[in-house]
Amino acid sequence: MRRELGFGAAALRRRSTLEFAAWSVPEILPTAVYGLAVAHATDAFLAGRAGTGLAWLGGLVAAAGVGAVGARQAYRRLGELVEPFRDVLVRRVVNGALRNNAAGAVSRLNRQVEIVRDTFAGLIVVTRSFAITVVGVVTGLLSLDPVIAALVVPPFLLGFAVSLGILGVAADRVKASLFADEQLTTSAGSAFAGVRDITATGAEDFAAELVGEPIEAHAAAERALARVAALRTLCFAIGGWLPLLILLAAGPWLIGRGVSTGTLLGGLTYVLLGLQPTLSTVMSALGDSGLRYVVTLGRILDSSAVAETPKSTGSPRGHQVRLHKVSFAYGPQAEPVLHDLDLVVPEGDHLTVVGPSGIGKSTLAALICGMLPPTGGRLVVGRVPPSELSAAELAKTRVLIPQEAYVFSGTVLENLMYLAPAATTNQVNRAIEVVGAEALVSRLGGPAAAIRPSQLSAGERQLIALVRSYLSPAPLAVLDEATCHLDPEAERQAEEAFAARGGTLIVVAHRISSALRAHRILVLDGNQAMVARHNTLLRQSPLYQDLLGHWQAPQPDQIQPAS
Amino acid sequence: MTSFGAVVRHGRGWLPLIGLAALLDSAVTLALPTVLGRSVDAIASGNDLTRWLWLASGLIMLGITCALVDSFAGTACVAGTTAWLRHRLVRQVVAAGPEGTRRFDTGDLVSRVSGSASDAAQAGPASVTAVAAALPPLGSLVLLALIDPWLAVGFLGGVVLVIAVLWVFARRTTEISLAYQETQGRIAALLTEALGGIRTIAAAGTADREERRVLGLLPELHRHGLLTWRVLARSGAQAALIGPLVLVAVLAIGGLQLVDGRITAGELFAAAQYAVIGAGLGSLTGILGELARARAGIHRSAEVMAVEPVAYGSLPLPPGPGRLVYDDVSVSADDVLLLDHVNLDLPGGATIAVVGPSGAGKSVLAALAARLRDPDSGLVLLDGVPLKAVRRASLRQAVGCAFERPVLVGRTVSESISAGQVTPVQLLAAARATHAHDFASRLPQGYHTPLPEAPMSGGEAQRLGLARAWHAGRLLVLDDATSSLDTATERQISRTLTEDRHHRTRLIVTHRASTAARADLVVWLDRGRVRAVGPHQRLWQDPSYREIFG
Repeated sequence: MRRELGFGAAALRRRSTLEFAAWSVPEILPTAVYGLAVAHATDAFLAGRAGTGLAWLGGLVAAAGVGAVGARQAYRRLGELVEPFRDVLVRRVVNGALRNNAAGAVSRLNRQVEIVRDTFAGLIVVTRSFAITVVGVVTGLLSLDPVIAALVVPPFLLGFAVSLGILGVAADRVKASLFADEQLTTSAGSAFAGVRDITATGAEDFAAELVGEPIEAHAAAERALARVAALRTLCFAIGGWLPLLILLAAGPWLIGRGVSTGTLLGGLTYVLLGLQPTLSTVMSALGDSGLRYVVTLGRILDSSAVAETPKSTGSPRGHQVRLHKVSFAYGPQAEPVLHDLDLVVPEGDHLTVVGPSGIGKSTLAALICGMLPPTGGRLVVGRVPPSELSAAELAKTRVLIPQEAYVFSGTVLENLMYLAPAATTNQVNRAIEVVGAEALVSRLGGPAAAIRPSQLSAGERQLIALVRSYLSPAPLAVLDEATCHLDPEAERQAEEAFAARGGTLIVVAHRISSALRAHRILVLDGNQAMVARHNTLLRQSPLYQDLLGHWQAPQPDQIQPAS
Repeated sequence: MTSFGAVVRHGRGWLPLIGLAALLDSAVTLALPTVLGRSVDAIASGNDLTRWLWLASGLIMLGITCALVDSFAGTACVAGTTAWLRHRLVRQVVAAGPEGTRRFDTGDLVSRVSGSASDAAQAGPASVTAVAAALPPLGSLVLLALIDPWLAVGFLGGVVLVIAVLWVFARRTTEISLAYQETQGRIAALLTEALGGIRTIAAAGTADREERRVLGLLPELHRHGLLTWRVLARSGAQAALIGPLVLVAVLAIGGLQLVDGRITAGELFAAAQYAVIGAGLGSLTGILGELARARAGIHRSAEVMAVEPVAYGSLPLPPGPGRLVYDDVSVSADDVLLLDHVNLDLPGGATIAVVGPSGAGKSVLAALAARLRDPDSGLVLLDGVPLKAVRRASLRQAVGCAFERPVLVGRTVSESISAGQVTPVQLLAAARATHAHDFASRLPQGYHTPLPEAPMSGGEAQRLGLARAWHAGRLLVLDDATSSLDTATERQISRTLTEDRHHRTRLIVTHRASTAARADLVVWLDRGRVRAVGPHQRLWQDPSYREIFG
């Protein structure tokens, strides 16, 4: 809780905060005058001086006018406090999302940031009005009669203090309720999306139980919240009702000391119209939006924290890839995806990686590109482990083209020059030509045309990504099923363009035909790996034979036509 | 039946208590200003205060007790009713099957369970408290008028002003917050776009550049945001000015009556309090709104409850080889004929491929075999028994179905394969047979990896979907269920299927010629009709058959 409150406090700009506080001062006036005006007006009316009484009430309206000016200015400053805070959160969420690739970032950006924005503003408003009311009422009471102030203020503060004390209990309950609600949405979402599958497997009871669990948890959390509400009611009894009863009980004694009826009424007015409403507002605001603020902001801070990457200093010599007994597993209990893999890819090589899906081909690509650290063994690119290279140094050495091509809203040219801002028009045109994207670029309206990514097919996106990567200055290109949405002919042209590009080419194959174009082929099969040329593999690798045979002769019947 | 009355009745145990507490609370609210006023008069006139003081204390204690009862009983009633309604909705949705839930979006159904159910559960408490909540504002108006009719007139004038301010405020904010939300949506769209290419961005080290691109709209959002506060500032100032006017009007009129000696100082005090309580008239719209929301929530729940659940029969399946018969089966949807008088007699234990161009009705044929939908006319029989007549447990034990895009349900990877229908040994065997084991065992916590933490490719999900259907005792329906597998894995699974040592009937919808070639029999569908049934080799001689496979 301390972290979230500190985060909010740190985001407050000093100047705006001071202005906000300064403009809140005029608002104290109507609060302070309230009971005073009622007291004096009543005494005047009782004494038969109607004019004086009305004048006091007129003064109350005038004070409200002054307060309104203050309120207006203060609320404008509120925007200057809240909006920068929201900006900080949006920046943080975007920053974290782009670096951690955490799921749910978009929902955090919309829903959670808004919740924090609203509750943050709510907290400021409520805290402010509480401060105004307390200062105003105490001022008014003191000017009315210090003895009344002494009777009323201590129990009020006591009730407020106790309500602060139970916030900790309340926080856990609110957290539990929010968590149960989320669980419910998630599990209901997964069960309802899978109604067909549930019916097919006869898992109706299981699904009902799966969603039923968070339903019960949520109900329990709500019941637990009722106990918090009850505690709050008791706090209100101390802070809101006790001062009133004390004042009434002391009434005869006060009158005996020469206190007027009007003054007594003024004191009661301060309690009923000043202290009670503000206490109930501040208690429910702290207990509800305050806790929602803490919980939601906590979630944003947790999920958007970016792990500090150690600053790297190495620089590669060349771009030879060398793996020595490299292993990788996704967890300590998990079976390794790659086990003791030895591999050397010399500069200028063209290597294709084949094997069943899930065997670790993409993992290998990620390891070589420095996107994952090996869990065992040593992997170097240009004689330096990729982990010791800065992002910029890495980008100069290798370019990874993943299966899911990235195309962003912008012009064709912006997309193509993403990795090579210094490329000349000639270079770009040549890349478009050799990769085979001419038709696409002209259909899109030329290099200067704007792209709407959602309107491109998966294959078209891949072509854009391929041209972009072709232009990259990095000598080592790793295609991780980067052509899987292209037709075989387009795939051939793109791969051949990369092979002729200079530097090293590593292709993680989607189709076995990619293997036929490579110098060497790496066959991954279970935890076995074998690197060799096509002819050698045909003789020595049963898996390779199988894959190739399958590709070449899918029809088993000899009488069928050769088409 | 889920009606307003039914929902209200579910909480009936609590409702008298809630209603009583609300009524007493209203009575306390109305009585207290008068009692306080009398106390003040007693103090001023030097009369005995004790009686009034005790009365005031008693009323306050009663009010507190009512508030306590309301928080416990109200919450217990709403929480209990919500859970009851949610359980019913969830059971209804899963029992309705794919056909019954077709017209609902998943998100819509989720919102009905999470949102509508809790709105609906307010029906009982909102109904019984509505009357009680109307009492203090209305009653205080009456009491105000009783003290002096002019007080009520002054009060009403003030209230009209306040409502006008609130109304203007609501309208202006809507426009401005729309612009704000729009900008926010555009930022989210840019972020979504960038997250789609996150591997490229991470590899290229361009996260900073992307961050600047996504946040380019932030200043615009900031401007729109500031505007919302400007509007709030104006209306806040107006409220600060107008708020006390009501009270001042009542006090001024009351003061003049006091001068004339028609009311006492205590009555003036009470009048001021009633003016404040009367201003709570606005909160009545809140109660009415809650009732309206409850009604809407019940309506949305009732729509779900009105869906017919899948009706299963009561017969067990007799022993048999798994012979599947389509007897003059027709299916149509939205006036489109999907299957047109299909007659098929498929031998038990055989591998049967179903092929045809898209839109031929292959998936419908498969769904019928798995009883995911029923024919509009005709019968589908398994070993001589119409599927409709078979008990649910027997049917689902005998028939398994795997899909092109399986939706995996469960907390963990292991639960997504089997939610306790089979033993762990069987589960492992199924995972091995379908090569799901290859990647499941490589996950961070193996089979116990939580499903959301096990991101999968389409092919990997398909393998889990296959493993889930693997326990089928008699008939295995595969609706394009291996389409996303790479050639190597597909070949391995195909072999397992062909050499199935359980000798189950296998109905395989496929686009691949190699799969059709390995089947014992091919059913060739075209526009809802069976064009031919026979072995692949024989059909292959027909050029239009070859065209199916491109």
